Amino acid sequence: MVALVIVLALFFDFTNGFHDTANAMATPIATGALRPKVAVAIAAVLNLVGAFLSTEVARTISGGLIHEGSGGIQITPVMIFAGLIGAILWNLVTWLLGLPSSSSHALFGGLIGAAIVGAGFGSINLGVLLTKIVFPALLAPLTAGLVAFLATKIAYAVVKKKQRTHFKVGQIFTSSLVSLAHGTNDAQKTMGVITLTLIAAGMQQAGSGPELWVIIVCAMAIALGTYTGGWRIIRTLGKGLTEIEPGQGFAAEAATTATILASSHLGFALSTTQVASGSVIGTGIGRKGASVRWRTAGRIALGWVITIPASAVVGALASWVALSGIVGILVDAIVAVGVIVWIFLYSRRNHVNTATLHVEPTTFVRPKKTKKPKKTKRPKKAKQPKKHKKPKQNKNKKTTKGGAK
Amino acid sequence: MIEWDKFFIVLLVSVVAGCGLVLLFSVGLRLVAAERGWRKPLGIASFVACGALIVYGIGLIVPGFW
Repeated sequence: MVALVIVLALFFDFTNGFHDTANAMATPIATGALRPKVAVAIAAVLNLVGAFLSTEVARTISGGLIHEGSGGIQITPVMIFAGLIGAILWNLVTWLLGLPSSSSHALFGGLIGAAIVGAGFGSINLGVLLTKIVFPALLAPLTAGLVAFLATKIAYAVVKKKQRTHFKVGQIFTSSLVSLAHGTNDAQKTMGVITLTLIAAGMQQAGSGPELWVIIVCAMAIALGTYTGGWRIIRTLGKGLTEIEPGQGFAAEAATTATILASSHLGFALSTTQVASGSVIGTGIGRKGASVRWRTAGRIALGWVITIPASAVVGALASWVALSGIVGILVDAIVAVGVIVWIFLYSRRNHVNTATLHVEPTTFVRPKKTKKPKKTKRPKKAKQPKKHKKPKQNKNKKTTKGGAK
Repeated sequence: MIEWDKFFIVLLVSVVAGCGLVLLFSVGLRLVAAERGWRKPLGIASFVACGALIVYGIGLIVPGFW
């Protein structure tokens, strides 16, 4: 059972990596600051490095959200197993739809659903759920959107049109910072899940940190997932919400970086995915002449709203089946593998990769067309190819239209 | 209840840091391209300040960096 949970946790880490590549690299790819393959390679390396930087177990998963320990409900490996199934399946569904939803919320949702079935509604701390997850999910895109809006206004007010292409250089640094922060935060969550499982199974002392092998495998799984590149979500964030120019890309990445670092260090954690999406929308509103595709933004927001309930339902179903015994666990595992394989096969119908991404570096400015050209002014004729020179004629000779007689 | 005081601090710091970073980089781009001699060093100084902010960000991510 423990081995099965570890494998699932690592697969969740992998999906977390490719699901969240877009957070850092969608805008540099969209503006042409980085080539797609180079962008995902940088993100993978920084996620790998980031995973080794901090060894503190992410306590958010078990600390507070689900009552645990002697005074509360004991989390069992079976519940974690079912929760991971819910998180993985929801991550893959949103990836298939190209929706940038929060992997952490999917994990929380899956664990909540599994815990409710396994231990009842009393096992969930609703206060923590609202204050640590639901309200921050509403505030994250608004905060990042405001910062990106103001930053875009500043960038376009200060820098002249012809210089704006140089923002691409700045984008490389800010997006790299987002990747590093992502590796430090998100790989920790899987390390926390595996450590929790080992503690629950009595294979590790309670209160101890993750083992070295856990850190290594989690770092490698998230890096591999990041390198695989969630091209569908990159397409949505980079091209689907708004047309991004280098100045906007830099403003959006700066807003994402500032908001993530400020929130994680001032005790008000915000989802990286929601911050990154909010930044892209904010920068779309901030540039004169740009337009935000609100229908796509609405689909993304809907995805955020239903992430926790949907993954909770899947987690609850998986938990209900798994709690029936070893046969139930096997049924869960087989059904989960079947659904994962089906999603991958279905995704091949409309395959998106670097070749089909169709990302063209955007031009400096595409001003809003407000007036149609006046009818009286005729557009200049295109240059005609040079005709062969006529042979010089003697002025005294009479010529006809057809040429000299 | 939601900790509004913490949220407003996060909002304020995010606005100052995010806009500050973009302002420094933008001023750097504008001044470095200028023809007048005295503006270029100021532009380079802006880029250096921008780089310092990035390094500070790395310091926040990497524990024990400082």
